[in-house]
Amino acid sequence: MASAPLKAQLTDLLNSMFAMDFLDEQFKELQMLEEASGPGFLAEVVTLFCGDAERIIFQLSVLINEPVVDFGKVDANVHQLKGSSSSVGAKRVALVCVKFRNVCLENDKEGCIVALHEIRHEFDELHKKFQTMLQLEQQIRVLDSK
Amino acid sequence: MASSQVVKVLIVDDDVVTRRIYRTMLLRFGFEITEAGDGKSAVSQFLIGNEYDLILMDNDMPGMNGVEATRTLRGMGILAKIIAITADANSRGALLDAGADEFLLKPVNFTMLTVILKAFNFLN
Repeated sequence: MASAPLKAQLTDLLNSMFAMDFLDEQFKELQMLEEASGPGFLAEVVTLFCGDAERIIFQLSVLINEPVVDFGKVDANVHQLKGSSSSVGAKRVALVCVKFRNVCLENDKEGCIVALHEIRHEFDELHKKFQTMLQLEQQIRVLDSK
Repeated sequence: MASSQVVKVLIVDDDVVTRRIYRTMLLRFGFEITEAGDGKSAVSQFLIGNEYDLILMDNDMPGMNGVEATRTLRGMGILAKIIAITADANSRGALLDAGADEFLLKPVNFTMLTVILKAFNFLN
């Protein structure tokens, strides 16, 4: 089957994402939900998450660069990102969010700046892998439909 | 139960990703789903006369949180089953005291949710 090499590539990608803790068991839960409810669910959730994460990370950079930082608002945004990343199984992003909330509690602006860079880095890495995953899935669907 | 035979569910969570996941989980059972992004919106659903059999209630939401929303709904005489779902284990007592029927820690998995739905007789 023409899609076999792409399926192998997708399997390798997902295995490495789990092995490197980009993803955890919650993502497997979503994969099982897609098997039951039909294709498109994972793509929709991943796309929703990435869009939401981009929005929150931008908002965080605005808040942290204010002359007087509202740590309450920063924490609320980080909490939201932690929630959505946990829901999709984005383990490394969720873990960095926990660290971020801790420095927020201490009203540590410098710590928040460092944590924001970490979140940006972790999310960018995950986002690239998600994009590759979705592209492979799309190519597989096209080949399998022929 | 609400007057229709279809189980009507209100999902209350400020995270759009989480709401989408719960929606997919519950649509598998043929439930009818409505979403609210915070506690005040959830209460408003009942104030305008909508009826629900089941509420999935997050706690940490802007404005009115899950504890306040649950307490308000119970005070209004709302008898719908409320499953409180939150990442904060410390809020369990407050949510149950406010009137929630069950408590789940995030992230929720499908098996855990199914067990509770069966216990509430929402599944045949």
